Amino acid sequence: MPLPRFLLLRHALRFVVCLCVTVVAGQRRTVHPPARVATSVLFRSLLVLVLPIGVSSCAAEDWYRWRGPNGNGISTETEWNCNWKNGQPTIAWSHSVGTGFSSVVVKDGRAFTLGHVGDQDVVFCLNVADGNVVWTFGYPAELDDRDFEGGPISTPTVDGDRIYVMGRAGELFCLQTSDGTKVWGKNVAEETDVRLPGWGCSAAPLVIGDKLLLNIGESGVAVDKHSGERLWNSDDRECGYASPVLIPDSNPTAAVIASGRAYIGIDVESGKQLWAERWLTSFNCNAADPIIHDGKMFLCSGYNRGAALFDLNDATPSLIWKSKEMKNQIHGSILYQGHLYGIDGDMETGARLRCMEWSTGEIRWSVDDLQPGGLALAGGKLLLLTEPGKLMIAPATPDGWDPIAQGKVLDGKSWTAPVLSGGRIFCRSVQGQLVCVDCRD
Amino acid sequence: MPIQRRSFLAGTAAAATLASAPKIHAASKDKQYRTALIGAGWWGMNILREAMAGGQTKVVALCDVDSDRLEINAEEVTDLSGDTPRTYSDYRELFEKEDVEVAILATPDHWHALNALAAIEAGAHVFIEKPTGHTIGESKAILAASRASDRLVQVGLHRRIGPHHVSGMKFLKDGGAGEIGLVRMFVHSKGGAEKPTRNSEPPENLDWEMYCGPAPLRPYCRRIHPGGFRHFLDFANGTLGDWGVHWLDQMLWWSDQQSPRSVHSTGGRPIAGAAILNADEQTTDAPDHQTATYEFDSFTATWEHRKFAGQGPEQTSIGCYFFGTQGTFHLGWRDGWTFYPADGKKQVIHQDAQLQEPDGHNLKLLYADFLRGIESGSRPVADIEVGHQATTLALLGMLSMKLGRSVRWDSATETIIGDEEANGMLKRKYRQPWTYPEIG
Repeated sequence: MPLPRFLLLRHALRFVVCLCVTVVAGQRRTVHPPARVATSVLFRSLLVLVLPIGVSSCAAEDWYRWRGPNGNGISTETEWNCNWKNGQPTIAWSHSVGTGFSSVVVKDGRAFTLGHVGDQDVVFCLNVADGNVVWTFGYPAELDDRDFEGGPISTPTVDGDRIYVMGRAGELFCLQTSDGTKVWGKNVAEETDVRLPGWGCSAAPLVIGDKLLLNIGESGVAVDKHSGERLWNSDDRECGYASPVLIPDSNPTAAVIASGRAYIGIDVESGKQLWAERWLTSFNCNAADPIIHDGKMFLCSGYNRGAALFDLNDATPSLIWKSKEMKNQIHGSILYQGHLYGIDGDMETGARLRCMEWSTGEIRWSVDDLQPGGLALAGGKLLLLTEPGKLMIAPATPDGWDPIAQGKVLDGKSWTAPVLSGGRIFCRSVQGQLVCVDCRD
Repeated sequence: MPIQRRSFLAGTAAAATLASAPKIHAASKDKQYRTALIGAGWWGMNILREAMAGGQTKVVALCDVDSDRLEINAEEVTDLSGDTPRTYSDYRELFEKEDVEVAILATPDHWHALNALAAIEAGAHVFIEKPTGHTIGESKAILAASRASDRLVQVGLHRRIGPHHVSGMKFLKDGGAGEIGLVRMFVHSKGGAEKPTRNSEPPENLDWEMYCGPAPLRPYCRRIHPGGFRHFLDFANGTLGDWGVHWLDQMLWWSDQQSPRSVHSTGGRPIAGAAILNADEQTTDAPDHQTATYEFDSFTATWEHRKFAGQGPEQTSIGCYFFGTQGTFHLGWRDGWTFYPADGKKQVIHQDAQLQEPDGHNLKLLYADFLRGIESGSRPVADIEVGHQATTLALLGMLSMKLGRSVRWDSATETIIGDEEANGMLKRKYRQPWTYPEIG
C-alpha cells in the first residue's frame, strides 16, 4: 500500500464508529467487529498493529466506493444468506432514484447513488433500513439520452464524512455525507479545458491520501480532496470510461488510468506518465477497470477487443497472454481465487457470463443465455443481476455456474452491478428503480 | 517482398497485363493466396478469419480509413496466422504496391464498386460483401468488369450454401410445398423513437473524407462509424439493402433467377421520427419500416421490415415464407427451416440450421466454394451475377419507395420502362474527384 502508515491511520481514524483497519500484505481492509466492541482510538490503533494477517471475512462492511473497499468488486461479508422465504427475495424497500447507471455506495447505514430527475442530476442519500430519503443534492444536468437512456453513469465515492460526485459533463462536487451540504464544486472539464468522451465522464473518483484522482483528459486529473484545488492535469485527449486504479505496493505511488486509446500508468504525486499500454477499442470505449494483482495487470474491453494479462514488474508492461475470449464492454471482471468472473461480449447483442483462468486466459465455463446485466462477488458467491432484473446467486467456482437462489427484483433494464453491504443487496434499473434485498442472517 | 514488387510495378509497362494473367493452373491445395482485406471492420474480419482458417490464405495487406481498426485487426491477423499484413488507408495505394491474388471487400456499400473495379483491374479475384452496389449501375459495372476479365467475383451471400438453405431449397424444388404462389420475405425487430446523436469532429484515427469518398461529405457522428453506416442512405440502403438482399436472393434461387415485371414499395419513419441532419446533430435516415411488392409472371413476392413491435404473434421474426398448395414453408436463420402442411393432420417438418457462431453465418463454406471456383475456373455459387440480381431487386425497392410510385422493370435492358426520372435513379452523382463507373 503506497499510503504512509501514519496517513493511513489518520485516514482510518476519521472513519466513523465501529470501523477498524488493518494493514495486510500492503492492502487496507476495513473490518466491522461484532457490535458493541469497544472502539476507542487506542483499541483501533492496536488493531492496526495486531490483527492477524489474512483476515478476509467479516460480518458487515461499508461498501463506500466503486468496486468496494478493496477496489476489487468483492465483499468479504459472510453473514448473509439467500435462503429466501418461498424462494423469493425479500424486497425490504424500493425507491426511485432517477434515470442512470450509477451503482450504490454505503456508509454508516446510508446508501448513496445518483440519478437524473427533471432537469437535474440528483445525489440521493437514503437510509438503508427503510429507504427513506435523508437528503438529496441536485445540480443542473441534461439527461443527454442520445444513443442510450442517459443520466449519470459514474458512482460516487465516500471518504470519511465527505462524498465525491462526478457528473457526465465533468461536474465534480464534494458534499458532506451528513446532510448533503456542498463543501465545494466545480467543472473539471471546463477548468482543465479537456474534451469530454462520447458518453461523458463515468469514472468514480478515487481518493488517494489527500488527493482525488479523476479520469478525465489523456491520463487523469488530480485535485485536492479538501479544497478541490487542481493539483495537476493531463493533455486534452479523450479519456476512457474505467475508474482510476491504484497499483498496490508502488513506490512512489502509481495508478492506472484508462484513456480512450491506452491504459496509462501515472505517478500520483505529479501526474507524470510512467508508461502507456496502447489499447485501442471501438468508440474509445475502455470501460473495464484494470485489475492489478500479484505484479500483473489484466486489461479487457468489448467490441471484439478482448483481454490481455501483462507483467508489471519492469519499467513497461510486458505481455503474458492475450485472448478474445473475454470482452468486458462495460463491467470489469472480478478476480477471485485465481479466476476471473466477467461479462463477455457487447450488451446490446447478447453477452455471456464467463469464468476465465487468470494465469492462462483459459475459459473454464461460459453461460450464454443469462442476459447478464451486472456482477458482484460476496462471501465466495457470485451475485448476478440480469438485464431483465433477476438476481441470481451462485458459488464462485471454476467448476461451473450453478445458482443456489434466484428471483426477480427489478422491472426494466438493469445494467448496474449489484452491491452487497451489511447483508443487504442493492440493485437498480436504468430507469431508476432502486431496491434493497434483505439478505441479513 | 513488397519493395521488389513496388519497383517492379513502377518500372514495367506490362505490369497490369501480367497481374491479370490467369492463375488457374498454378492452383493446388497447397496454394496460398495473397489476400488483402479492404474494409477491416467487424464483418470484414469475420470473412478474413474464415479465409485464414481455410488454410489457403496469406494475408498480405489490410486497408481501412480507420487506423485504429487497422492496427487492432493487423495484430489479430498476426496472432492468428503469423502473417504481418501491411496496412493502408487508401485501397488505390494498396493495389499499386501489393501483388494481390484475392481481395476481400467489406467496405460500406457506397465504396463497393470503386473497390471492386480497382481489385479486378489489379488482377485480383474478389470476395465482395452484398449488396454489390449502392445503385444498380455500380453493381452492373462490377458484373461487366468480372465478365470482361477472367476474375471471379463471389458475393457474400452465404445463405446460398448454408446447409439448411440447400436442403430447404431442395425440399421446395422437389415440390414439397406444392405449387407456390406467394413468397413473403421479412425481418422484424424491436425499437422506438430515435434521438439524434451529436455531431463531432471525426476521431483522429479516422480519415472521414475518405470514408465518405464518392458519397456526400456530411458531418461525422459516432452513430455512423464504426458499425452504423447501414442506416444512413448516403452510404447504404437500410434494411432492404442489407437483410433484404439475402432473402431476395433466396427467393430468386427458388425461382431460378426470374425477374419481376414491376416493383412497388412504401415505407417511412413514423416511429423513428423524421430524419435530422444539421450542423449539431443527426439521426439515421433509413426507413423504420418498409414493404415492397415484386410482381413476377407466376407468383408475387413481398418484402416487409419493421424496427418496432418485435416478433409479435408469429413464431419467427426473420426469413421467407413460401406459400404453396401443400402448405407454408418457412426458411429461417437460426431457426432452420420448417414446413407447415396445409393439411393440419399432417406432421410439421423441420430442419435445424447449421451455422458458425457467434454471428450465425456459413462463410466457411462460401469461402471454400470461392477458392474452388478460382482453382477450377468455374463460377462460384454466389457469383456476381447472382449477387447483382438480388441487389438489383433490393435497390429497385428503395428506388420505388423514394419515388413514391411503382416501376416496371425491363430485365433485358436493365431499365425502368417509361419513367425517365426513375431511370435517372439507377445511378448517383459521385462527389469529386470520384467518377461513377461507366461500363465499357
